[in-house]
Amino acid sequence: MQAIEDKNGVKRFVITLNVNGDSYTKVVKANMTLANFLRDELDLTGTKKGCELGDCGACTVLLDGKPIDSCMMLAVYADGRKITTIEGVAQNEKMDKLQESFAENAAVQCGYCTPGMVLSAKALLTSNPHPTELDVREAIAGNLCRCTGYVNIVKAVLAAADEA
Amino acid sequence: MYLPDFDFYAPESMQETCELLARLGSRAKVISGGTDMMVKMKHALLSPEVLVSIKNLSRLTNIYYDEGKGVVIGASATLNDIGNSLLLQEKYLSVCEAAHHMANNQIRNIATIGGNIVNAVPSADFPPILIALGASVKLVGSSGERTIPLEEFFTGPSKSVIAQDEILTEVIIPDQHTTGSTYIKFGLRRSGALAVVGVAVAVTMDGDVCKDARIALGAVAPVPDRARKAENLLKGKAITKELLEEVGKCAAAESKPISDIRGSAEYRRDMVRVFTKRALSKAISEGHV
Amino acid sequence: MSENYAVIGKSVPRIDAFDKLTGRAKYTGDLKFPNMLVGKLLTSPYAHARILSIDTSEAEKLPGVKAIITHKDVPSMKYGLSPARWDETIFCIDKVRFYGDKVAAVAAIDEETVQKALKLIKVDYEVLPAVFDPFEAMKEGAPQIFEEYPRNINTEIHHHFGDVEKAFKEAYYVRTDRFEGQRTYQCPIEPHASIAFWSGKRVTVYSAIQSVHYLQHYLARVFDMKEGDVRVLKTHIGGGFGGKLDPSGLDFAAVALSQKTGRPVKMFFDREDMFFNGRGRHPITMEVTSGVTKEGKLLGVHCNFVMEGGAYTGLGVASAYYAGSLLTVLYDFENYKFDMLRAVTNLPPNGAQRGHGQPQPRYAFESHLDNIAKELGIDPIEIRLINARRPGTVTLNGYNVDSYGLVEALEKARDISGWQEKKGKLPSGRGIGVGNGGFVSGAGYAIYRTDLPHSVAVIKVTDDGTSAILYVGAVEIGQGSDTVLCQMAAEAMGYRYEDMKIVAADTDLAAHDFGAYASRQTLMSGWAVKRAGGEVKKFILETAADLMKVNPEELDCRDGIVFVKANPEVTKTFAEVARTYFVNGGQLIGRGFYKPPKLGGPHKGSAVGTSPAYSCATQVSEVEIDEETGEVKVLGAWDVHDCGMVINPALLHGQVHGAFYMGMGETIWEEVLFDKNGKLLNGNLAEYRLPTALDMPPVTSELVDTVDPNAPWGVKEVGEGATTPTLGCISNAIFDAIGVQIKSLPISYEKIWHALKEKKEKEKSES
Repeated sequence: MQAIEDKNGVKRFVITLNVNGDSYTKVVKANMTLANFLRDELDLTGTKKGCELGDCGACTVLLDGKPIDSCMMLAVYADGRKITTIEGVAQNEKMDKLQESFAENAAVQCGYCTPGMVLSAKALLTSNPHPTELDVREAIAGNLCRCTGYVNIVKAVLAAADEA
Repeated sequence: MYLPDFDFYAPESMQETCELLARLGSRAKVISGGTDMMVKMKHALLSPEVLVSIKNLSRLTNIYYDEGKGVVIGASATLNDIGNSLLLQEKYLSVCEAAHHMANNQIRNIATIGGNIVNAVPSADFPPILIALGASVKLVGSSGERTIPLEEFFTGPSKSVIAQDEILTEVIIPDQHTTGSTYIKFGLRRSGALAVVGVAVAVTMDGDVCKDARIALGAVAPVPDRARKAENLLKGKAITKELLEEVGKCAAAESKPISDIRGSAEYRRDMVRVFTKRALSKAISEGHV
Repeated sequence: MSENYAVIGKSVPRIDAFDKLTGRAKYTGDLKFPNMLVGKLLTSPYAHARILSIDTSEAEKLPGVKAIITHKDVPSMKYGLSPARWDETIFCIDKVRFYGDKVAAVAAIDEETVQKALKLIKVDYEVLPAVFDPFEAMKEGAPQIFEEYPRNINTEIHHHFGDVEKAFKEAYYVRTDRFEGQRTYQCPIEPHASIAFWSGKRVTVYSAIQSVHYLQHYLARVFDMKEGDVRVLKTHIGGGFGGKLDPSGLDFAAVALSQKTGRPVKMFFDREDMFFNGRGRHPITMEVTSGVTKEGKLLGVHCNFVMEGGAYTGLGVASAYYAGSLLTVLYDFENYKFDMLRAVTNLPPNGAQRGHGQPQPRYAFESHLDNIAKELGIDPIEIRLINARRPGTVTLNGYNVDSYGLVEALEKARDISGWQEKKGKLPSGRGIGVGNGGFVSGAGYAIYRTDLPHSVAVIKVTDDGTSAILYVGAVEIGQGSDTVLCQMAAEAMGYRYEDMKIVAADTDLAAHDFGAYASRQTLMSGWAVKRAGGEVKKFILETAADLMKVNPEELDCRDGIVFVKANPEVTKTFAEVARTYFVNGGQLIGRGFYKPPKLGGPHKGSAVGTSPAYSCATQVSEVEIDEETGEVKVLGAWDVHDCGMVINPALLHGQVHGAFYMGMGETIWEEVLFDKNGKLLNGNLAEYRLPTALDMPPVTSELVDTVDPNAPWGVKEVGEGATTPTLGCISNAIFDAIGVQIKSLPISYEKIWHALKEKKEKEKSES
């Protein structure tokens, strides 16, 4: 990872990441979190900030397929990695099966936890296509929702798994 | 929230890392997963001038068995790496179970075992089970390497014997005769909760007689430590309900909890009694390490 | 509900589901404008202190800082809810009143610069003694927080209906119980943000606000502007629950900073700031005394409450009234005394949180009722059936309750929860409990004294009739109002939901509405929408009648098809009829509005608690307690609701799930904590424990069939009413499980452990 120093001695790093299939090269300071990088540098505001301390999961993205809290990772750590944000889930204006299931099962209310919730659930179904209800609850235990009580979200994930 | 400014290095070799740490001295802090570090920095409790990332030291993520040494867990192995490790599930399932109940899934994909140990938070979850299993840690610095039993590593809340220029590179769990071990974490909700009390046990049973026992407590003292008096009550005895109750009471008396927003000292002490009993019962009946 | 409706009564997918699921939905914090600055508030590090001086010079020198403002740069006019309690200013002027109070605001080019600038502002304080407990605050000699509230008493209520002393004398059994409710916080997952920018003398404000009208009203008043020069609008909002209704410092600061810099300014809170902003549930001490007959019938009730208000009033005054006023709705009794003192303290201000002052009094009363039932040997559901209000009655404090299915809800809840098989028959450590609750379907009066209609709706059918746009001021905060109102518009017009569009909550572009609070929108905005749709349908049928050479009375319209009632194969599409209207008469527009009738009695404060319709619900929960540790596991929950006609069943049940979830969190896990200096200890989502997916039980949500005559299609509320039974229901289940009643919330594991320990010791000493 190449570092550039400006005339005040402030170091910036050149990072290249693949986000939702596209490659981006940007220059960032080390103290920029991945969440702020995605939202401010790439204008991908689907990734939300709810607490910025790794407690609520609203900033969940997939890093090489694994769900992480992007507020808890430095952007420089994502150099060379593959990121999937909520914007990368639907393809060509068509929601994927999991998103459809969320819509059909009324699993969305205010929607603020939804991107993180979908990504956590998506990662689960990718590694475990037939999860039990407990598996689903464990997969989303790091995604706080204040609106739904998780009832319809769990229902939606299990329904999407059944359909597969 | 924003992180304060810091300089950043990501050295490519252990030697480079140690040289850097030696040169920078107290200006620098090591970062791997960074989940504890980032929270402290966002709260302005920590403002290191320099962060030295060990993410490029790829060997540090390995989990493997070394004949003669035991199971070696690289310090940068994430909590989920550990929970999902087939080797660990086979040899030390209790460590996987401990990993599984920490934080939440997203944090478990970032946080590392090295960080959980080095940050020396009294309620950390790995130290009790690792101490119960007799684990050691390897520290590598500019003046060489040393291996220390984990129970001698901690010196106080957020304090340990690690030197400024050292990094913790691996955790070693030695081969042992343990027939059953477990870690029970008691938190105030079923995910994303720090341990109010953490109890780890490792027993060696011969029929229903306990030949050897190690009990390690977390979150109830300035450092994770063994309840040695309680252990001695078990050695050589046949396990009965009454004995377990007595052992629990003894471990409770040995603990030194404080009162904080998660619980009073009195409550914690009684929970040590309850969970020591339950951990022993579980480790014996489940019979896996 | 057995009517054959075309659109309402169906679980159509949310109108905003696609945008929210794909990340396309933008929330206030996501919006960017060219040349935009970001800003944050500087808050007080003391609970009570005089401001001696503020020096912003160092901060202003920081490159990237564009403006810093304090009380000197903004109007000093006080604002708040009711004029007698306008006690808040944009920034603190002479003193700060809680740790987190607003002192200044910075606008800079990025967040990092803002944070650095905040640290460079030097404020000189003279620390004053502070008070945190309401009883201490009301004592002689306590630190005075405001000049205008002697003894720190901010609201004092004394209501007396009938004669409670007489009732108690005549009662077979009289009992007093004392309970305590804790400070909780709404914690919507979206932190608040506000963006303002000017164009000449006009300002536009995007805010995560539950009422664009009230914000426009406050901004115009405080900045001395015409309401027409203040445009308030919103984008998607990530939950409110009452916490985003009081204007926050962000809105005023954004307006002032954007004017000073000439650039758009986005102000935002991070999670800890959300806790400083407060506006959550008041801690409350509740003493309840009831007198009952031998059969358990309530004769008289006396509620004596003390609320801890925090530093400012805002919506807190309404919560104080609601705390006592609505207790008379659920159960029918003829003598009632309500005494309330709301004291200010040096802690973040408390406001309105889902249930608006009702949930904890409900917990107190439901627990108290279970004590009475136990004493008299009556089953808890039986005693509630005996006392439940019947429909078509008037409460002793003057509320007309037309539809009310509480008896049916109790009976159905008893059935579906397996109450009779379980009550008294569960193993040790397991318990089952019941709680009732309900709420107003919109408040009879607005937050400030006004004669404005409560809701206005306009529907514009597009030129070729292929879509219709609904303009309403109702605010979608996640509860589903956009979807439900579009369903109602389509139903009223005979149109298709799929062809509806909505422009909501924009004081320039949409129509007037008081916004999302007191569970008002389904009924009140619904009325306006139904009338607007009805007007469109009238024009359509008149135009179609011309085209089809029949009388308008012979026609009807449904699903976008106009048909002859006697001969339904003879049709015309809505679209072609609409186009004909447009061609001949210009834009097809329907308008409607709603004003509630004059409600309430003559006594002071009678306005609060009035409503065109009241919902009610019975909840049953089953819990399992680990008797050694006190850990609570909620095994199951059953809710039977009377919310009138249900427009969208799936969304309705979702609201019940969420309301139960929130009530459950408040009963067992949630509490805002401070140190002895009034500093927030757990302003984060790790130590303020919201239940996770692993903590949530299965919930069975069912309905009883009622139709309220005062509502469009008979609808009533559900969003807040479903939280009001929960605290009592779960605490009664815990009482049933462990045999000891814990009289303060939250009923934490440690409190249960302690209660069981004491119980054991008591049993030992008695044996």
